Amino acid sequence: MKNLILAVAAFFILSACKNESEKKDNAAVDEMAKDQVVNVYTHRHYEPDQNIFKMFEEKTGIKVKVINASADELIQKMQMEGKQSPADVLITVDAGRLSRAKDQGLLQSIDSELLEKSIPAHLQDVDNQWFGLTKRARIIAYAKDRVTPEELSTYEDLVDKKWRGKILVRSSSNIYNQSLMASIIANDGEEAAKNWAEGIVANMARSPKGSDRDQVKAVVAGEGDLAIVNSYYIGKMLNSPDAEEVKTAQQIGLFFPNQEGRGTHINVSGAGVAKYAPNKENAIRFIEFLISEEAQQIFTDANYEYPIIDSVEPVKDIKDWGAFKEDTLELNKLGANNKKAVLIFDEAGWK
Amino acid sequence: MRQGGNKNKAFSLKTRLTRLKRDSNRWSVFTLAIVLFLALPIVFIGVELFSGPGETWGHIVEYLLPDYIWNSLYLVFFCSILVLVLGVSSAWFVSRFDFLFRKQMEWLLILPLAIPSYIVGYAYAGIFDYGGSMDLIFRQLNLDFVRIDIMNRAGLAFVLSISLFPYVYVSARAFFLNQANNLLEASKMLGVGEAKTFFKLMLPLARPAIVAGLVLVLMEVLNDYGAAKYYGVNTFTTGIFRSWFSLEEPQTAVYLSALLILIIFALILFEKWQVRKVKFTSAKSNSTQIQRKEPKGAIKWGIFSVVLLPILLGFILPVAQLIYWAILTASTVFDFRFIVLSFQSFGIAITSAIITVFFALLLIYFSKWSALRFIKNVARVGVLGYAIPGAVIAIGIMIPTLALDKWLIKMLGNFGIDSGLIINGTLIALFYAYAVRFLAVAYNPIDSTALKVDNSIPDSSKVLGVGNLKTFFKIEFPLIKTGVFSAVILVFIDVMKELPLTLILKPYHVDTLAVKAFEYASDEMVMEASIPSLFIIFTAMIPVIFLNKLLIKR
Repeated sequence: MKNLILAVAAFFILSACKNESEKKDNAAVDEMAKDQVVNVYTHRHYEPDQNIFKMFEEKTGIKVKVINASADELIQKMQMEGKQSPADVLITVDAGRLSRAKDQGLLQSIDSELLEKSIPAHLQDVDNQWFGLTKRARIIAYAKDRVTPEELSTYEDLVDKKWRGKILVRSSSNIYNQSLMASIIANDGEEAAKNWAEGIVANMARSPKGSDRDQVKAVVAGEGDLAIVNSYYIGKMLNSPDAEEVKTAQQIGLFFPNQEGRGTHINVSGAGVAKYAPNKENAIRFIEFLISEEAQQIFTDANYEYPIIDSVEPVKDIKDWGAFKEDTLELNKLGANNKKAVLIFDEAGWK
Repeated sequence: MRQGGNKNKAFSLKTRLTRLKRDSNRWSVFTLAIVLFLALPIVFIGVELFSGPGETWGHIVEYLLPDYIWNSLYLVFFCSILVLVLGVSSAWFVSRFDFLFRKQMEWLLILPLAIPSYIVGYAYAGIFDYGGSMDLIFRQLNLDFVRIDIMNRAGLAFVLSISLFPYVYVSARAFFLNQANNLLEASKMLGVGEAKTFFKLMLPLARPAIVAGLVLVLMEVLNDYGAAKYYGVNTFTTGIFRSWFSLEEPQTAVYLSALLILIIFALILFEKWQVRKVKFTSAKSNSTQIQRKEPKGAIKWGIFSVVLLPILLGFILPVAQLIYWAILTASTVFDFRFIVLSFQSFGIAITSAIITVFFALLLIYFSKWSALRFIKNVARVGVLGYAIPGAVIAIGIMIPTLALDKWLIKMLGNFGIDSGLIINGTLIALFYAYAVRFLAVAYNPIDSTALKVDNSIPDSSKVLGVGNLKTFFKIEFPLIKTGVFSAVILVFIDVMKELPLTLILKPYHVDTLAVKAFEYASDEMVMEASIPSLFIIFTAMIPVIFLNKLLIKR
C-alpha cells in the first residue's frame, strides 16, 4: 500500500514538473512570437466572454490569455508586478475601478479613432486611458400588486416616510451600491448624500444581505415593496433555467428613476491598456474588437447588458423595458468619490 | 541588594547564552531555516505594521470594529459548541460501536469538508428561499410554507459548523482509533460503565487532539469571506477586504489582519495552556484494534441517527440541492472540459498536499531533535498562515518572490539571457503559497499524534546508535501514520476548494474547479456554479475513500 502511495505521489510530482517544463516551452514560444498574444486581466467571469475571445483568436490569430480575478485583486497584482507585469488589458465591471487604476498609473493613453468615435463621450475616459464596453442601469424593482409606478420618481425620493420598512437593497460592500452613492455625492453633494444614506437605512425592510437577485425574490415574497437592483440581473432572472426564478422576475415591475432630471444612474463594464503592456498593438486591436457589432451583440444577447454602441439593439427582454434617459455624469467621478461613498455608508450604518 | 540582583541577571543571561551555544545543533538551524522560509510572507505582512495604519483607521475603530469583534466572537463561540458536539460524538460512535452502514459513514463524515463553505451557504439559502426547494416541496404537499430566514449570524454559524466539523471528527477519530483500545481494556477490567469511560477517561485524554481540530475550524471560521459576505455578517475578514479594496487602504487591512492574527495566537496559546497538564504518551499503538460493540434496539437507532445527522446536514442536503441545480443548468454549463479540469485540480491538490505534509514533518521532527526548547514554539509561528485570508497571503507571497524574480532576471541578464518572471505566475509560486497557507492543516493532526509517541522508543533506538532519520522511518513514522494520512486528506481537500490564492497566483491557462465554481458564483450565477462544485466534491471523494481505507487498515 505504501508503495502505491509513493507511486501516485511520484506520478503527480513528475506530471507537475512536466507541466512546468511545458510552460517554460510556451513562454519561450511567446518570446519568439510576441505579437501573437494578448494577456487579459479581467473581472468579467462570464461564459459568453469566452466565445468573444475565441472569435477574436480566429479572426486575428492573436492568442487571448486570461487571468480571472476581482478587479481589486488584479489592480493589486499589476501594481506589485510593476514593469514586469505581463498584463496588456485590464477589464472591470465598473468605471470606478478603471479610474482607480488610472489614478495609480497602471493604464496608458491610446490612440484609437474607432474607440473614440464609436463610444459616447461620457462613457470613455477623457485621457483615453479606458473605454466603456457595456452599460448597466441601477433601477428600482417594485411589487406590481402593492406599488404603482406613479408613486415612484427619483433615488432621492426613496427616503420618503411612505417607504418606511419597505426598501430592499444589498450590502454597501457591493460596488454597484458604492457607484450609485458616488454618483449621488457628485450630483447632490456630500451632505445630501449622507442624509440620503441615513434615510435609506431608516426605510430598509431588513438588514442588507444576499445578492441583487435575492432582493428581487424578497420583494415577491413580501418582505418589502421596492428593491434597488442592477438591470442585467433582471434579464438573467427572466431567462433563468429555474422556472421559479422566471416566475419571480415576471411578478415585478421595473422603474427607471430620475427620468425628469439628470437621468438613471448607469455604470459601465470597461477596458484599458496596461501601462507596461508588452503587446500594446494587440491590446488596442482586442479592445476595438470588443466594441465591434458582433461582440456587442453577444454581450447583450447572452449577458443582458446594454450595448455601448447605438448600431446594436439590446436583446428583446431589455428592449421591452423601453429606452430611458441616462445620467451623463463623467464616470471618473465614480472612482474619485468611491472612498467617500464607503465612509458615508459606514457612518449611516448601511452594512 | 540591588547590585546582587543585577549580577544574578547578568549571570543567568550568560548561562543562557552558553546553554544556547551548547544545545543548538544542526536541527535547530534547519528548523529556523524552514520556519523562516514558510513564515516569510507573514513576516512581510508584519513589517507593514510599522508603517502605521491608514487614515481611516479611526473611522473603522469608531464605526465598524465593535461589530467585527462582536460578530467574530459570536461565530467563534457558537461554532465551537456545534463543531465539538457534532465532531466528537460522531468520531466516538464510529470508533466504539458497530452499526448499519458504519463503514460508509466513516468516510461520509469527512466529505462535508469537500464543499466550499460559501457554496454550502448558497445551497442552504436556495433550500429555504422564496421559490426554493422547501417552498416547492411544501406546495406539492399543499402545505403553507413558513420561510425560514437562514441568512443571518446564527445561520452563518450553522453553515460554517456543519461544513467544518470534520476537522474535529478526523483528529478525534485518529486518536480514538490509535489509542482507545488499551484504555478501554483497562476501564473494562475496572468495571467502569460506558458513559463514564467516555466522559471521565476518553474525553480528557483526547482533548489535545480535539482542540487541535477545533483550532483549525476556528481559524477557518475567522477567515471565511464568501459565506459571511453573502449572509450579510460583517467579520474581521469582510472588514479586511472592505478597508483594502473599498477604502483603498492596504495598510489598514494589514492592521486588521494583525489583530486577527493576535486572536488566533491567543487561541493557540490557550490550547497549549489547556494541554499543559495532560501528558499522555503510549508505546503501544496500532497493534490492537478497538473491539467495537454492537448495540441493540433503541440505542442502536439512537447512535445511527446521531451519526447520520451531521452527514445529512453537512453533505446530503447541500449536495441534493446542488444536484437539483445541476440538472436545471446541465444543458448550458456541462462541458467535458470539467473532466480535464478535475484531473488538473486533482494533480495540483495532491502534489501540494504532499509538499505541505513534508514541510510539516520536517518542522515537527527537526524541532524535536533540536535540543533547544524554544525552537518548538518558533516552529509554531509557521502555522499562522492559515489564519490569514488567502488574498492577504498572496500579497505576502508576491513581495519576496517578485524580489527574487527581479534579482534572477538581472542575473540572467548578465549572461545575456532575457527572461520573464520565473517564479511568479508559475506553479512554483502556487505550491509555495499553498504550503504557507495550509501548513497548520498538516501540522496539527501530525503533531497531536506525534505527541502520543513516547520518547523512550526513539530514545532507546538512538542510544543503540541508530541515527535520527533511520529511527524516524523505522520506528516513528509507522506510529504516526494515521496522523500523516489525515493531514494529507485535509490539505488535499483544502487545496481543492482554495480560491483567493489560486486566483491571484495561478499561471495562465491553469484552471481549477474551485476557480470555475467561483467564476459563476461571483456573478450571482449560483445555480450554474453547482456543476463545478459537484466535480470538486466527487474528485475529493476518491482520495478520501482511499486514504480512509489506509487509515483504518491494520
